[in-house]
Amino acid sequence: MTTHIIMVKKILADGAPCRKCGEVYERLLRDGLLQHIDRIVTADPHNPDSEGMRLAARHQVSRAPFFIVRDKGGNEHIYDSFLRLKREVLQARASTTEVALDLAERFPELDYI
Amino acid sequence: MNTNLNIEQLATHQEQNDPVEILRVALEHFPSSAISFSGAEDIVLIDMALRIRKDIQVFSLDTGRLHPETYRFLEEVRNHYGIQLELLSPDSRELEQLVRTKGLFSFYQDGHKECCAIRKVAPLRRKLATVDAWITGLRHDQTPVRASVPVAQEDTAFSTPEHALVKFNPLANWSSAQVWEYIRNNNVPFNELHRRGYISIGCEPCTRTTLPNQHERAGRWWWEEEALKDCGLHVATAEPSRPQPAEVA
Repeated sequence: MTTHIIMVKKILADGAPCRKCGEVYERLLRDGLLQHIDRIVTADPHNPDSEGMRLAARHQVSRAPFFIVRDKGGNEHIYDSFLRLKREVLQARASTTEVALDLAERFPELDYI
Repeated sequence: MNTNLNIEQLATHQEQNDPVEILRVALEHFPSSAISFSGAEDIVLIDMALRIRKDIQVFSLDTGRLHPETYRFLEEVRNHYGIQLELLSPDSRELEQLVRTKGLFSFYQDGHKECCAIRKVAPLRRKLATVDAWITGLRHDQTPVRASVPVAQEDTAFSTPEHALVKFNPLANWSSAQVWEYIRNNNVPFNELHRRGYISIGCEPCTRTTLPNQHERAGRWWWEEEALKDCGLHVATAEPSRPQPAEVA
């Protein structure tokens, strides 16, 4: 991997990760992709100065988790979709369920089908 | 597929037209169009389409969790109209994996998206890969995210670089009252759950009746409003409490 990847996860008041962050972490672990994540930083909504909150504000991201990918040229790219990160950066195959879940999350009008 | 059809122009032009005319355009330009039927009041699409053509293609997503009344209604529709109603099932391996790891009611804790992805979106995606256009019962008055749905659009969710897909929403500009007026005036069969206070009908664990003047959204995934805030990255004054599974209607 020639890029540098930061995962920003949100922590709740009890210190546990938010639901989605926990799920994505589990998927990274299960798929053997965690090794490609160089750093995991936390966003604590009760502490605006936490590194994750500062990164969220800087990149204008409103939901966790998200990923900051720095390419070989030093340019930063934001991925707020784990599926896109998995396919485009980690170049891993996505399962049928992952593709469907990504669609369900990006297109809320599909809720009532 | 008629590639000369300009969907954007069509949407604008058809905006004031009635659903039957929109259906006619869909069925004429895209002979393989398929109607997505949810087992609720979108039954009017089938009734209207059959007045245009007898060999329409209709499918429903059989999530495995629908109300018994909805299954009975699907069968009633099949017999009443004499159509082949294609029922699409979830991938058994994906579904078994979900149930094995998270149980049968994970949506009350984790939100409905994962379950819907497996039971609805994936089978739908599989089906839509085989047609050039599909027809839905989406209406502006159903939810805020549907308020701007056009009557015809390129389907950005399910189109791929290799396969362009068009979505028609003939009822987009109709109100719920207009739909029900059509049902009454044309003796169209309807799901008996509507008699019992259900407005929006989905899977049994995720649907409940609504009170008078409540929005139909209140009858679906009612426990999630707080849960969805879980992943928001806004400076907090107090952490939202974890939602509890609500009583199932």
